[in-house]
Amino acid sequence: MKINLDHFEVSVLFALFASIMLGLVTKRTDRERVRYGLYCFGCFVAALFGIGWVMHFLHG
Amino acid sequence: MQATSSSATSSPRLRSPYLAIALAWLIPGSGHFLLGRRGRGAIIFATVLVTFTLGLLMRGPLFQPGGADLLSRLIQFGGFVGDVASGFFYFLAIWLGYSQPDVAGHTPDYGSKLLVAAGLFNILAIVDAYEIATKQKD
Repeated sequence: MKINLDHFEVSVLFALFASIMLGLVTKRTDRERVRYGLYCFGCFVAALFGIGWVMHFLHG
Repeated sequence: MQATSSSATSSPRLRSPYLAIALAWLIPGSGHFLLGRRGRGAIIFATVLVTFTLGLLMRGPLFQPGGADLLSRLIQFGGFVGDVASGFFYFLAIWLGYSQPDVAGHTPDYGSKLLVAAGLFNILAIVDAYEIATKQKD
């Protein structure tokens, strides 16, 4: 079995897993962990789209 | 969620931080289990397992120490440390004969990065388990 994911799919999956881990290990209460995990995920996705548009304009 | 918080406060006895570190490395999430944070331990185990499995399914090559020049040696060694940090999952993959050549292509390249990312996630969990064991955090 082999799976093929493109750059966007892998990036979103990485953002999801990294956000879960960062939320788990940085905050003290469950509510804070969920909020921080969602915040990190939003930042990852925003950076993904932002850097994507920068690359789009740089590459033409 | 609430159960996780209550279990965290209901385990006042101090466990050895070194035992928690060793367990957390060998079996991701087990350090938190040992310290009574079962919900967080289960989430860590699942996250590291899914990340590592995705890396395997994308046929990512595992890093091996070595290389021709200093930069290559640094990259290879850093990647090797990241791979080994997954603990049991890494050793199981090696024991089952998992070996992929380092070929050009985006899929194995992403797979290789996910394998390292799984180990880095586990390092975060190990540090967290150490801080819990030494009562620097709940």
